Amino acid sequence: MDLDANRSLIAAALARIPGGDRAALQTVYRLTSAKLFGVCLRILGERAEAEDVLQEVFVTVWRKAADFDAARASPMTWLIAITRNRAIDRLRAARNSRRMEPIDAASDIADAAPIADSALENTQENARLHGCLGELAEREQTALRAAFFDGNTYEELAARMSVPLGTMKSWIRRAMIKLKACLER
Amino acid sequence: MSDTFDHSGMPEDERLAAEYALGVLAGAERAEAAQRVARETSFAALVAQWEARLAPWAGEIDEVAPPPQVWDRIASALPAPAPSRPGLWQSLTLWRGLTFATAALATACIAALIYVGSALRQQPLVASIDGGGHRHFVATVDPTRDAIAVMPAAFSADATRVPELWLIPPDGKPRPVGLLSADRAITLTLPPALAALAKDNAVLAVSLEPPGGSPTGAPTGPVIASGKLTNL
Repeated sequence: MDLDANRSLIAAALARIPGGDRAALQTVYRLTSAKLFGVCLRILGERAEAEDVLQEVFVTVWRKAADFDAARASPMTWLIAITRNRAIDRLRAARNSRRMEPIDAASDIADAAPIADSALENTQENARLHGCLGELAEREQTALRAAFFDGNTYEELAARMSVPLGTMKSWIRRAMIKLKACLER
Repeated sequence: MSDTFDHSGMPEDERLAAEYALGVLAGAERAEAAQRVARETSFAALVAQWEARLAPWAGEIDEVAPPPQVWDRIASALPAPAPSRPGLWQSLTLWRGLTFATAALATACIAALIYVGSALRQQPLVASIDGGGHRHFVATVDPTRDAIAVMPAAFSADATRVPELWLIPPDGKPRPVGLLSADRAITLTLPPALAALAKDNAVLAVSLEPPGGSPTGAPTGPVIASGKLTNL
């Protein structure tokens, strides 16, 4: 799935929302709700909670559409960030993440690799991100994946990977530094 | 494990922005970062950069259609259209404006009557989008919903380019409608200006464009198929 397939349509519809155009919000919903609901479900794990968060996301989009600047950001990046933040806030309010089963450094790497032969369309950005993730140590990749896809906190990641909190912080921070340097090459 | 990397390589604010965008902060730290996003444009820009770096990862997450009642709940949660503020009734500008507005409203009512009258007679339109002896796509326009559904037929995907649909009214100028898929039906909403042009005898065409669609608003790649919209 090319996240930016309908970029211009979504951006045009977002631009009409601050004027109070409900049909424009519905257009954004039609074009993006399946992906955003997938993100909610991945982080929250429960349909009822994911539905509540998806509703919050689109009410937020209705209120904040004027903040979106099509010249500076991709509409899907903006929508995914709102969705992940809402889902993570919901997860934190429930005090515990649902995904807390132990993971070891190499366990999720098998899942991390098959982007190329999945049904996903490999866009340039996607390929670059995956190339750069591939340069990280396995334990760093595993920790970043669990943070992004499961919405885990530093404390939860440390517990899942059985390392001290300070070690986990070092792994993630070092991984972020390397990731940024690689993406900017 | 050495802690030295925590304090080198990335300035404090950027490190916090990265941690917030990734979602690893909790409690007061997360709340404080969220407040800084709302208050400080420079911090918000750092967070946005990290969100853009990480967002392509979401391409891995499967799409799941939400149940239809979610949209109904969103629609009912939106605030009612804003009522006019008290105090305006004393405004001379308002009364001057109203004089114009009343005339405009009368014109709009007549236009609406004509539109509704024509809408009642509107039938779905179809087009077979063919090229090179093959039927590539079949399109159906639903004028009551201002939507166009496009189903792939014999279209085979190109590894580097995506099919984009264009509406060409009698003036001959192609209007972008949206991107199509080689393996599933796509329903696109037609904005009012386009819906007004999606009439009998308008032409639909498909061109091959770079991922994300034509950057110029006009077809940049080869037009591989076209077909005329006709009433069912």
